Amino acid sequence: MAIQIILLCGLVIFSALAILLKDLIKAALSLAVASLLLGIIFFRLAAPYAAVFEISVVAGLITVLFILTIALTKKGDEVTEARLVKLAFPVFLILFLIIDGLVMKSLLQKIPALPSGPEAGTFGEVLWKQRTFDLVAQVGVILAGVLAVLALFRKKEEDKDE
Amino acid sequence: MSNLWFLYLFFAALLVFIGLYCLLTMRNLIKLFIAVEVISKGVSLAIVATGAVKNNILLAQSLAITYIVVEVALVATALALIINIYKKNKSLDVRLLSKLKG
Repeated sequence: MAIQIILLCGLVIFSALAILLKDLIKAALSLAVASLLLGIIFFRLAAPYAAVFEISVVAGLITVLFILTIALTKKGDEVTEARLVKLAFPVFLILFLIIDGLVMKSLLQKIPALPSGPEAGTFGEVLWKQRTFDLVAQVGVILAGVLAVLALFRKKEEDKDE
Repeated sequence: MSNLWFLYLFFAALLVFIGLYCLLTMRNLIKLFIAVEVISKGVSLAIVATGAVKNNILLAQSLAITYIVVEVALVATALALIINIYKKNKSLDVRLLSKLKG
């Protein structure tokens, strides 16, 4: 339990660093560390498949995409943020911590519990039989993403020809 | 067991708050997208933690995996858009997008 809370605190700290650090590369790396910690939390929650996806895809692939984009947009660091943003963040964070704590405490035992019970079968059976429609939707989303990226970059090539 | 669920929901809400704060206050497009990623981490945590606490971890895992795949497609498309916006405006300042002309 204590380890889990330390991991959750680490996840929040690195997520906050990801948005507060001015250097975009450091921000992307903080996000990767946060994903890694989330993967470890998933693993400790007995969700190894979600953990593997989180670590390999989010901490790996998405970080690479972010760093590639940062490298291609060299002047990204030059965008000036409002001065108050970083100064006001701890104040708003503490306020939200108090509100969040109070809300969760008041909701404790009051939310009607979701029906719970041990599941039958294996992960493969649940994924391929119960969630078949989700898989079809996933294929559609991936195709839409690929087509969108192709369309975005093809347009630039046409511009160059002109 | 229920207390554990609220602990995870507490941290998930905190992550969503951090992301929303960044989305509302920052101007760098890449930072805004990092904020979207932070929000999505909060949502993933809520899904998997709820599944683990309610003994529905297999279903929660399959939903989390679907969510991660959708997230990757979103990231790829959005980063391609950001690169195109940068090539057009030579800046990642989101305020410049308000000057777009039809």
